[in-house]
Amino acid sequence: MPSQNDSDVRFLMGNEAIGRGIIQAGCGVAAAYPGTPSSEVLQSLVRWKKELDHSIYLEWSINEKVAFEVAYGASLAGMRSVAVMKMVGLNVASDPFMSAAYLGVRGGLVVVVADDPGPHSSQTEQDSRFFSWFAKVPVLDPGTPAEALEMAVRAFEISEKYQVPVLLRPCLRVCHARQNVTLSKPAPIANVGPFEKNWTRWAAIPRFRLVLHGELNEKIEKMRLEEPESKPVPILNGSGNSIALVTSGSVSSHVRDVVASDDRLKDIDVFKVGMPFPSQADALQQIVDSHEKTLVIEETYPVLELQIMDRRKVEGRLSGAVPPQGELVPETVEDIILKSLGETPTEREAPKIKSRRPSLCAGCPHRPAFYMIKSIFDEAVYSGDIGCYTLGINMGAVDTCLCMGSSIGMAGGLARTPTASNGTQVVATIGDSTFFHSGVAALINAVHTGAPFVLVIMDNSVTAMTGGQPTPGNPYLADGSGGKPIDMERLIQGCGVDFLEVVDPYDHDAMKDALEHAKKHVFEDRNGVAVVITRRACIRAPNAEIPSQRFRIGDDCDLCMTCVKDLECPAIHYVKGERRMEIDEDLCAGCGFCVSICPSRAIELKGA
Amino acid sequence: MVEIILCGRGGQGIVFLTRQIGEIVAAKGLNVISSETHGMAVRGGSINSHLRIGGFFSPLIRQGHADFLLSLDPSETSNNRHYLKPGGLIVENSPEPPEPGIRRVNATGLARDIGRVQLENVILLGFASTQDGFPVTPQEIRAQIEKDRREQVRDMNLKAFQAGIVAAS
Ligand code: SF4
Ligand code: SF4
Repeated sequence: MPSQNDSDVRFLMGNEAIGRGIIQAGCGVAAAYPGTPSSEVLQSLVRWKKELDHSIYLEWSINEKVAFEVAYGASLAGMRSVAVMKMVGLNVASDPFMSAAYLGVRGGLVVVVADDPGPHSSQTEQDSRFFSWFAKVPVLDPGTPAEALEMAVRAFEISEKYQVPVLLRPCLRVCHARQNVTLSKPAPIANVGPFEKNWTRWAAIPRFRLVLHGELNEKIEKMRLEEPESKPVPILNGSGNSIALVTSGSVSSHVRDVVASDDRLKDIDVFKVGMPFPSQADALQQIVDSHEKTLVIEETYPVLELQIMDRRKVEGRLSGAVPPQGELVPETVEDIILKSLGETPTEREAPKIKSRRPSLCAGCPHRPAFYMIKSIFDEAVYSGDIGCYTLGINMGAVDTCLCMGSSIGMAGGLARTPTASNGTQVVATIGDSTFFHSGVAALINAVHTGAPFVLVIMDNSVTAMTGGQPTPGNPYLADGSGGKPIDMERLIQGCGVDFLEVVDPYDHDAMKDALEHAKKHVFEDRNGVAVVITRRACIRAPNAEIPSQRFRIGDDCDLCMTCVKDLECPAIHYVKGERRMEIDEDLCAGCGFCVSICPSRAIELKGA
Repeated sequence: MVEIILCGRGGQGIVFLTRQIGEIVAAKGLNVISSETHGMAVRGGSINSHLRIGGFFSPLIRQGHADFLLSLDPSETSNNRHYLKPGGLIVENSPEPPEPGIRRVNATGLARDIGRVQLENVILLGFASTQDGFPVTPQEIRAQIEKDRREQVRDMNLKAFQAGIVAAS
């Protein structure tokens, strides 16, 4: 993001555009937990803050629930505030989110929730617009980065006007799209005045909740009638044709381009809804009644479709015209429309795709940790978690992955198998960021109940998967200002853990010792949970220490493939035709672990 | 209207190239929209970017519509070939000789000669910018690279870019 005028054009990622909208709306507090595809929103706020010398307060919160609560507190204190997360993060924040809808807000409160139809980087394809309906919270659904900026600003206005939280739901194709976007001058930080005590509202007991529920229902009905975004707006071809198409959000952009590029489709009236909940059901019904057929294309649940009362002339997800799962890419959209019109679908050669699987970086500290876990706990069940280290599946060292922090809770249950007494061992692995996010409570539970498993916390000092955001273990906050680092050892001891060792995962022998001790503690001496912290910064982290040494594979190599199969280092490969192994010097990060594990001792220091 | 697919492995700098082209086009006052890969795939997996110049709303190119396919890794070319329209041009990082419809430059080799294999993306961009119909000119890209205030990065990029142009002539 180069220099800043009052109004200029930038080529911005959707998430950066949303960040800009947040700043332009005069927001004063932003809290987020990173998660693809939402992470760049707060990251861009860090840059906008710097570029504009803006006083917005920013934090990477410990998890999405806390992020929401921080933003909510700031709203009650009178500030415009925002919480940012991915859609599964909203599951974590759902408790305060649902309740906040009843209580209402003071300063405008926006929740940016990024959805991931596909899914590309997520556990589910859930539709946050449906969640907003469930919570009775209005939702804005942008189609492009430029629209996302405008909608971010509108979201604050609507929130303040009706005193409800507003959800802004960009899909991945908006978050990670880039577009020329026109900026305008940021408004000064808004403030509706300091917190005013009123316990019947801000600490309402059930009797008052009933009243508040009634108020919320009234707000929603008013919004439905009064806010222009609730109406379907014609975006192509106007009206008077026999076929209508209703759409919303990022898929509306594919629809627009597909319809506009095909002469056979020029007789379709296309409508877009900016606020899919609460939408003007009457206006939708009118479209349906005045056309012979109405096609509804939205992602990923039938939110608009379900708000149409008489669906006899409607085609969509409920009728089976739109596939019930998977991303609606432009090709799918084209096929749906052509099929619905009875036209011949476009012939396409089936793409021959052999995707390269992602892999832990060469030199990643997780790799030796997984290797050693596998060699010490041969037959164990490996309870995994969410982060780069989910890629431990490549090494056969991750057997389960449910949701953030679940490795520890699930280990507590996996360890209760009927066969636990005759030898099944459980090893849980979790990263530092995920441990802070939602592992701590599960660990306390495991200690208290005497759950017999080994927990390996892979502490690489950042949230690596999403781009290296700082965790609470660091002495700085999102914008680089100072923060008190949380001492992980003290925290774990505070949870009541009796066995704790900390090792450098690059140190083969130390790690072997620590894991063997842990194994004895839990499975031989029959004590409760043992914790081993493998600590080394992610090689992409700002505090990474990357050794300069490089290695070569000498003549003693007997092609056993241990380094490729078991260690799975992407820097090592077999040279076909020459029947030898080679280390790619451009990729190798000099960790030296392959030297320790090569059974033939064939790997040696270069230039030694 | 020009549509370009850029592909390679995570870590090869596909997003950087997409941004360079997009920023130049946006600064000229044209409409441009692109889509890029983030998340797990960037850990060495297959990734691609779509870049569309003109009055588009969707950031995704449909199969059979791309004018150019820029590939930093020959094994990724086949994963993305279906996006190319009939008569579209492939520009590939590869030491192999060119074929009809495929221009090639050994960007990895040239980048190694310069001393930084990570520069392969900029070399490919230099090479591509000389091809007929490519939407940004070598002069425009050079001016864009010169804007980088980090002197060393800028100089290396300029050198790599020039190497790509020379390889095309
Ligand atoms: S980014 Fe860091 S944590 Fe993730 S795979 Fe690479 S080295 Fe490992
Ligand atoms: S080749 Fe060996 S030293 Fe280099 S990154 Fe891989 S395991 Fe580490």
